[in-house]
Amino acid sequence: MPEGAVRSVMPLLPILFPWISLLAIAIFRRRALRLRLWLCFAGSALSFLAVIVLLPSVLDGKTYYFKLASIVEGLEISLYVDTLGYYFSLVLAFMWMLCTLYSISYIDHKQNRYFAFLAMCGSFLIGAAYSRNMFTYFIFYEMMTFGSYPLIIHEETAMARRAGYKYLVYAIGGDVLLFFAIITNYFWGGGNVNFDQWGLPTLAAASKAALLTIFSSYIAGFGVKAAIMPLHGWVPDAHPAAPSPASALLSGVILKAGAFGIMRVIFNLFGIDLMKELGVHWVVAVFACITIVLASVFALTQDNLKRRLAYSSIGQVSYIILGLTMVSRDGTLGGIMQLAHHALMKACLFLCAGVILVRTGKKNISDMKGVGYQLPVSMICFSVCALAMVGTPPSVGFITKWMLGSGAMEAGLPVYVVVLLVSSLLNAAYFLPIIYVAFFRWEGDEEGHHHPALDFNSERDPLMMVPVVILALLVVVVGIWVTVPGFPLSLASRVADLVFP
Amino acid sequence: MNLWHNFHYAVAMVLFCVGLYAVIMRRNIIKKIIGINIMETSVFLFLISIGYRKGGVAPVHVEGLDPSRMVNPLPQSLILTGIVVAVSITALALSLAILLYRQFGTLDVNRLFREEEEEAG
Amino acid sequence: MSGAYRHFPILMVTIPFFGAALLPFLAYLRRKAVPWASAFFLAISGGLGTFLVGKIPPGGHLSYPLGGWEPPYGIELRVDFSGYFLMMAVAGISLAAVIYSRRYIEKEVEGGRITAYYVLFLLMSASMMGFVITGDVFNLFVMMEILSISSYALVAVTGNRNAVRAAFKYLLMGAPSSIMVLLGVGLLYSVTGTLNMADLAARVGDTGYREVLIASYAILVLAFMVKAAVFPLHLWLPDAHSIAPSPISAMLSGLVVAVSAFAVARITFSVFTVHAWGLVGTTLEALAVAGAAAVLFGGIMAIYQKDFKMMIAYSTISHMGYVVLGITALNPEGITGAVYHILDHGIAKACLFMCAGNFIYRKGFRKIEQLKGAWREMPWTCFAFSLAAWSIIGLPPSAGFISKWYLVYGSVRAGKVPYAVVLLVGSILAAVYCFRVVYYMFFQPAKEGDWGERLSEAPASMSVPTWALSLATLFFGVFSYLFLDSLLKAAAQLL
Repeated sequence: MPEGAVRSVMPLLPILFPWISLLAIAIFRRRALRLRLWLCFAGSALSFLAVIVLLPSVLDGKTYYFKLASIVEGLEISLYVDTLGYYFSLVLAFMWMLCTLYSISYIDHKQNRYFAFLAMCGSFLIGAAYSRNMFTYFIFYEMMTFGSYPLIIHEETAMARRAGYKYLVYAIGGDVLLFFAIITNYFWGGGNVNFDQWGLPTLAAASKAALLTIFSSYIAGFGVKAAIMPLHGWVPDAHPAAPSPASALLSGVILKAGAFGIMRVIFNLFGIDLMKELGVHWVVAVFACITIVLASVFALTQDNLKRRLAYSSIGQVSYIILGLTMVSRDGTLGGIMQLAHHALMKACLFLCAGVILVRTGKKNISDMKGVGYQLPVSMICFSVCALAMVGTPPSVGFITKWMLGSGAMEAGLPVYVVVLLVSSLLNAAYFLPIIYVAFFRWEGDEEGHHHPALDFNSERDPLMMVPVVILALLVVVVGIWVTVPGFPLSLASRVADLVFP
Repeated sequence: MNLWHNFHYAVAMVLFCVGLYAVIMRRNIIKKIIGINIMETSVFLFLISIGYRKGGVAPVHVEGLDPSRMVNPLPQSLILTGIVVAVSITALALSLAILLYRQFGTLDVNRLFREEEEEAG
Repeated sequence: MSGAYRHFPILMVTIPFFGAALLPFLAYLRRKAVPWASAFFLAISGGLGTFLVGKIPPGGHLSYPLGGWEPPYGIELRVDFSGYFLMMAVAGISLAAVIYSRRYIEKEVEGGRITAYYVLFLLMSASMMGFVITGDVFNLFVMMEILSISSYALVAVTGNRNAVRAAFKYLLMGAPSSIMVLLGVGLLYSVTGTLNMADLAARVGDTGYREVLIASYAILVLAFMVKAAVFPLHLWLPDAHSIAPSPISAMLSGLVVAVSAFAVARITFSVFTVHAWGLVGTTLEALAVAGAAAVLFGGIMAIYQKDFKMMIAYSTISHMGYVVLGITALNPEGITGAVYHILDHGIAKACLFMCAGNFIYRKGFRKIEQLKGAWREMPWTCFAFSLAAWSIIGLPPSAGFISKWYLVYGSVRAGKVPYAVVLLVGSILAAVYCFRVVYYMFFQPAKEGDWGERLSEAPASMSVPTWALSLATLFFGVFSYLFLDSLLKAAAQLL
C-alpha cells in the first residue's frame, strides 16, 4: 500500500458506472432505443460525477488506494488515485460524457455495438488513469486498445476497414514493445513497477544498456499511441474513418493515454533525475520537435477536414512529449496542461466536423464555402477552437504555449521556442483557411452575390450542439480563469511541484 | 569392459537401428510395422541383458539359495509390461493397416500420401 | 476420514479406468446411458480432486505408495502442486469435452463405435492424470503408452479414409518415440538401478556413467518432443488434430501434447535435477532452439491455413514452443509460466476446437472463409471463440497474459532475451491468425446463402461446455493469484 494513501472503493466507482450502459444494452437489446441510449449516457455521466466527487480531497493532497488482486509478491492489480492520475481521469471522464451525449443523435446504425464498446473503453481508460503500477496500466490500456477497434470501423466502409487494420497492426506492435519494456523494467527494477514514488530507486542500480533498452521500449511502445513520428501511421487513417465523436475521443483522450503512459514512465518509474543522467531525453525531444513541425506541414496538404485535424493532433500531442523532455518545471507543467487543453480544443473541432458532415454531408475543406452561414453556431465554436490552437489569447492554447516557451527558456534551450513559433505559424496556415472558406466565401461570391443569411434551423439538435458549445466555452473560460481550483493548472502545478521539489 | 563383453548391448543397438531404418525407409506399411516390432524387441533385449548375471538363476526363492546369485527380476517384469504394450500397438497398427487397405487399395505409403496431395490440390 | 484424502490421487486415476472397463457392460444394458456414465466417472474424479485443495504442503508434495510398497521399491505417486494443478486441468477439460461429445459424435461416429469412443476417452483422461502425478519413470512410460494408444485409436474413430491415414501417420511417429522412451528409461536404470524419480534424482549426480546419462536424457527428450509435437517433429500433428472429431481434437491439442511437454519438465527437473544439467546442457540448448523455431514456424503456418481446424492445430505447435521455452529457462518463473501455459492453452485451445465443432455440427463449415458473418447466426459460439482467442494471443486480463508474462519474464531472468523476443513475436503471430477469424466472424458481411438471420446456435450440451471453457480462460486470468504463489513455490522446489 502506498504511503499515506486511504484505502477506499471510491476509485472503483467511475470504472464500474459505465457498465450500466452494457447492462442497459443487454436488457433492452432491440427495444426502447431512446431509453437505452439515455441509460448509456447516464452511465458516463455518473462516472464523471464519481470522479468530480473526489476533487476536493485530491486538491487537499489525499490519495486513494484500492487493491483488486495481488498476483505475487510485488506484482498486484490495484488502483491508486494520485494527482496525476486524477487529472487524467477528470479530463477523460468529462470528454467521455460529452461525446456519449453527442453520439446519441450522431450514431444512426448499430447503436448497441457502438455504445457498448464506447462505455467499455471509457471504463478501461479510467482504470488506466487510476492504475497503481505499470502492470495494471498495461492491462487496462491493452483492453482499451482493442475495445476501440469497433469504434474505428463503425462505418464499415472499405476505408474504415483499412484504417482498422492499420490501427491493429500498429497497436499490436506497440503493445508488444510495451510488454517487453514492462517485463525488463520489472526484472531490472527489482520486481517493482509501482507509481508510488518519483523515480524507482532500484532502477538506478541497473546497467546503462538495460536502462536504455527499457526506456526506448517504453517510448516506442507508448509512442505508437501518442503518434510520435515515425509511429503515427494509423492516426491520419483512423480519424477520418471513425464516426466524429469517436474521432474526438481518439484525438482527445486515446492518443493521450500514450502520452500519459510516457508521463508515468518519466515521472514515476525513471524519475527526472535518472532520465537526465541517462541523457537520452533530448533524443525524444528531437523526435517530438520533428513531429510537431512535420505533422503541421502534412496538415497543410490535406483537403479532408478530419484528416487535417488528425495531423494537427499528431503535432499537438507531441507538445506534451516535448514538454516532458525539456526537464524544466514550466515545461513539464505545460506538457501536463496540454493534455487537458488539447483535449478540449480538438474534441470540439472534431465534433464540429461531425456537425458539418451530418448537416451538409461535406468532408472536404474546398467544398465548405459558406458553411459558416449554414451552421453559424458550430462554425463560430470551430473558429474559437481553431484560433486557440494557433495560440491566440485568451484561450487554453495560449496558456500551453506560454508555459512551454517559458519552460524552454528555463531549460536554456531557446531552439524549442523557435519550434513552437514555427508550429504556431503553421497552425495558423492550416486553420485560418478553413475559417476563411467558411465565413468569407460563399456560393456565387465571385459574381458579387451578397452572403447568405444566417440559418439557425439546422442546428436545432441540442444533443449535438450542447457538447460543442460547452467545449468552445471552456476553451475560453479555462484560458481566462486559469487558476480556478480544479482547472488544469491547479492540478498540473501540483504534479510539477512533486516532480521538481 | 570392452565391446566383446558387452556385445549384447551392441546387438541391441544394431537391431534398434535396423528397426528404425525399416520404419523410416520402407514403403510398405506392413514392413514399417515389422520395423516397429524389431525396435521393440531390441529394447527388450537390452533391458533383459541389464539384469543378466553370469551363472545366475531364476529369481524364485528356494530354501538355501543365495539371493545374490539370482538374476535381477525387475527388468524382466518391466519387459512383461513392455510386451503387453508392444502387442497392443502392433494390433492397433495392423487394424489401421487393414482399414487403409480397404479404403485405398494399397499398402504403399508413397501412393497413400500422393493421393493426399492430389486431394489437397 | 481424517487421512482419507491421501487415497484421492490414486482414486482420481483409477475411477475413470474402472469406468472404462465398466462401460461395455453398461452399453449392453442401456446404450443411452454410456455418455452420461462417462461424464459421471470424470465428474467423480474431478470432484475428489477438489478435496485436495490446500492439502498439498506449499513447496512440498503428497507421496502415495501404490499397494503399500514403500518407494523406492514400489511405485510411488508424487503429487506436487504443479502435478495436482495439471491433473485438475485434465479432469476439468475432459469433463467439458465428454459432455460436448454426446451430441457431437452422433454426427461423425457411427452407432456401433460410440461405446468404444467413450471407453477410449476415459482411458485417455485417466492415463493423463496418472501421467502427470506419477513418481516413477517406468510408470510414466506405461501411462504414456495407454495415452498414446487411445489417442491413435480416437483419431481414427470415425473410420473415414483421411482419419485412418492421419491416425496411421500419428502412430508411425508415435510408436518409435514410445520405444525410445523405454530405451531411455532402460539406460537410466542400467546406470542407477532404480526407477523411482526421487531416488534417481539422488543418484544421477554421482554415477560414473556420464555418457550413458547424456544419451538417456537426449533420447527421452527426443521421444517426448515427438509426443509434444515440438518442431521439427511435429509432422503428425496438423493432420491428426484437424481430422479427429472436434472434442478429440480439443483433448489432443489442449492436453495430450501439453502433458507430454510437461514430461520433459519432469525428466529435466525431477530426474536430472540441477546437479546433472551440466551434463545435459547441450540437449537443453538444442531443445530451446527447437522451441523457439516451433513458436515461429507454427505461428507462420497457422496464418496461411485455409482450414479452420488446421489453423488451430498449427497454433498448437506454436504454443508447445512456448512451453518448451518456459522449461528451458531453468528458473521458477519459466517453469511456472510453462505449467500455467499448459493449463490456459489447454482450456483456450479446447474451447477453440469446440467452437470449430459447433460450426461443423450446424453447418459443416471447415473453411475460415465460410465463417464470414457467422455471428449473426451463432453469436454465442463466436463470442466464445473471441474470448478463447484473446487468451491464445495472451492479452490481459485472460489467463494467457499471465502465463506469457511469466514465460517472458523467465527468459529475461535467464538472460535469454532473444527467446523473450521470440515469445513476443509468437504472440504477434497469434494475434494475426486469431484476428483474421474474429474479423471474418464479426465485421465481414456473410456470403449470400451461407448464414441467415435465424439463430441456429449449437445445442445446449455443446454450447455450455464451450462457454464454460471460454469463461474459464477469464477466470484463470483474473484469479491467477490464487494459484501462482503455490506454483512458484512448487517450481522453486523442483530446482
